[in-house]
Amino acid sequence: MTVTEENVETLDVFGSRARAWIEANLPSWDDDEVDSHTLQNLLFDNGFAGIAFPREYGGAGLTLAHQKVFYDTAAELRRQVPSTYMVSIGMMAPTILDSASHEAKLRFLPKALRGDETWMQLLSEPRGGSDMAGSTTRLTRDGDIYVLNGAKMWSSGAYESTYGLCLCRSDWNAPKHRGLSMIAVPLQGTPGLELHRTRAANGNLGEFCEESFVDVQLPVDNLIGEESKGWSVAQTLLFHERNAVANIGYGYLGRTAARSGSAQRSNFGVLAVPEMVERARARGGSPEARQAIADAFIEETVLGITSGRIMAGMRVGTHKGQWGSMLKLQGSVAAHERARTALVVSGADGVIWDGDEVRIDNPGTTWLGCRGGTLAGGSNEMQRNIVSERLLGLPREPSFDRDLPFNEVIRNQGKL
Amino acid sequence: MNLELSEDQEFFRETTRKFLESEMPLTAVRELYESADGFDRDWWRQAAELGWTSLYVPEAHGGGSLSGSPTRDAVIVAEEMGRLVSPGPFLPVNVVAAALARAGSADQQAEVLPGLLSGEEIATWAFSEPGGHWDAASVAATATPDGGDIVLSGTKSYVEALGVADRVLVTARTGDGLTQVLVPTGTPGVTVTRGRSVDMTRRFGKVTFDGARLPLAAVVGEVGGAGDIVEHQLEVALALQCAELVGVADRTMEFTVEYGRERYAFGRPIVSFQVLKHRIADMTHWLEGSKAVSDALAGAIDDAKPDAARLASVAKAFVGERGPDIVDECVQITGGIGVTWEHDIHLYSRRAVVDRALFGSPEEHKERVYALLDV
Repeated sequence: MTVTEENVETLDVFGSRARAWIEANLPSWDDDEVDSHTLQNLLFDNGFAGIAFPREYGGAGLTLAHQKVFYDTAAELRRQVPSTYMVSIGMMAPTILDSASHEAKLRFLPKALRGDETWMQLLSEPRGGSDMAGSTTRLTRDGDIYVLNGAKMWSSGAYESTYGLCLCRSDWNAPKHRGLSMIAVPLQGTPGLELHRTRAANGNLGEFCEESFVDVQLPVDNLIGEESKGWSVAQTLLFHERNAVANIGYGYLGRTAARSGSAQRSNFGVLAVPEMVERARARGGSPEARQAIADAFIEETVLGITSGRIMAGMRVGTHKGQWGSMLKLQGSVAAHERARTALVVSGADGVIWDGDEVRIDNPGTTWLGCRGGTLAGGSNEMQRNIVSERLLGLPREPSFDRDLPFNEVIRNQGKL
Repeated sequence: MNLELSEDQEFFRETTRKFLESEMPLTAVRELYESADGFDRDWWRQAAELGWTSLYVPEAHGGGSLSGSPTRDAVIVAEEMGRLVSPGPFLPVNVVAAALARAGSADQQAEVLPGLLSGEEIATWAFSEPGGHWDAASVAATATPDGGDIVLSGTKSYVEALGVADRVLVTARTGDGLTQVLVPTGTPGVTVTRGRSVDMTRRFGKVTFDGARLPLAAVVGEVGGAGDIVEHQLEVALALQCAELVGVADRTMEFTVEYGRERYAFGRPIVSFQVLKHRIADMTHWLEGSKAVSDALAGAIDDAKPDAARLASVAKAFVGERGPDIVDECVQITGGIGVTWEHDIHLYSRRAVVDRALFGSPEEHKERVYALLDV
């Protein structure tokens, strides 16, 4: 998707064009929320979806800098942008763009960018999440189809997605990273696929799902990348995932706007800074609470500035590689600390309330699940490995399974 | 330091770095430890020739910045000085120059700025008082108009380079307002007490005013109307200090990680141990956040952004905590040699802990952030 300098609309020209269109077409932030799918259709039909994707795959043929200008302008004008495509368009579509065949891109990308089909990832398994390359979901070629058996979990939003990008093992005699494949699994009404939503610690049915596959039949064209070369596709996917979580790269889809709009109000038990101040004052405003609230504001401010610096660095070439992991780590640590601060400033009122009603919109209940943020999308520990090993080039962890045929790795389990 | 330096700025950074590496390597910094003043006046005049003292000085007085944005330029020097824990009154001289450029009379500018520019004269800022608070409310020293004079009483502490300063810009109180007076150190009624610090080369001092009398022409700005310029001086000081801490932390991490790659234990480089790698990963996001927020602060000051005051405290709270923490973690990674005189890391620890406290601790700046939350 290289775009040469001379044939690209300048950022200034694009910026004015985008501004005029946004002013004329996108609903105000204050309006009742417009359905995301409708909004994404509107962007796509006017050439503002998949801004950094090539035109032949339904994109606008521009760059990530243009994409940033578009969403920054929408935020500045306080207009709504689609809120639900971070995974599908921010993470999965760029993975398909980087890894799939030309035919698969033609088949999948335009519908994904228009929001008509949605994608998510099927990576973690009941046996583990961090050791993703240890997948034991089995993909077997059977004549002119593939057959899938196994189980996945922690798959966010699978219940409402069109496709899942599934990491599975196609060669059990190859070393673990070299026997993996990535395949698109249709998630709605597929024979042999059973899917249910995981009940979260707060008692709600959350976004997380579990899937089991029993002899699920898939067309061979659904393979993304080559057979048994799925690990590099998974790496690409993780790169885009961390960027999206860090709100940079393809994943820069207006979450800043959402944040500025919501900065003044609390989202469930995650308290916004003004509400923390209010609660702290109600309880007499201890020095500890003041320091903790200031910390929450400081971390939020520095994170935003750091992410801007890294985006600029990616543009000018001073920042290359896995900076999304560093931001993801910085953000997860701050969010966890913030959940703790909500407990600090709320005291007993954060965990006890009047009435018979079960409630989950309080700092205590939020605390139960806030570790989700330091685990999902690659745990803090995995991000620290990535930052130290890949960003700084420190020596890798020794491995006991890297070069062995995967069958043997399984046989060796429990012997160390 | 900005990621997108102009060619001029990049050249400035390189000449600054080369000058420091050749004229003030760590061995030379160590030699200054025993010296009374902590820096050499000839060396300072050379530094001034490189443009270190011209950035805030108006062009009419022979100064000028590289980019039209003096703080964005000045943090380039501050960060390089941090990398080599360099001596010299870079911060106080530039804060006084910034104050005079903005609020000084034509006579004051003409009298003082050329000497600062050439490095012949040294000026410093006296703001904090015994107890160590850097906010307007804590100023107790008084400046009282009396006929054609202004009379100063009180004590100022933690004044950098005071022992060698020709002039002190004193922040004092007149009723509810602040007044700044430019005081030659030889003025009757002014007593300077020299002091030292944990830093190898930074010297500080205490100055007492016992009814010291100066002409009203020595007042910088309006009597009782110095609140805004004092805030500006504080922001500039914090921007230079944060940039210096970034340089300190960046360089300490560089040589520590390098050492950890070559130091073997249990048959492996020590930085291959996950327990150290994970700490280094955390230090990486502290450092990158420190760079980002320091850079943003320099820009916010020169662009007169409405949230510059709050950002200054956000930056000091973050960098003032994370910078010294990085150095501290590096001492642990370095091992026993890291707590010896022989190893250079204590030079960095020294600068880091002094910077942490000077111009307000992170804890104090968190209080100021809280007070400035606008809720």
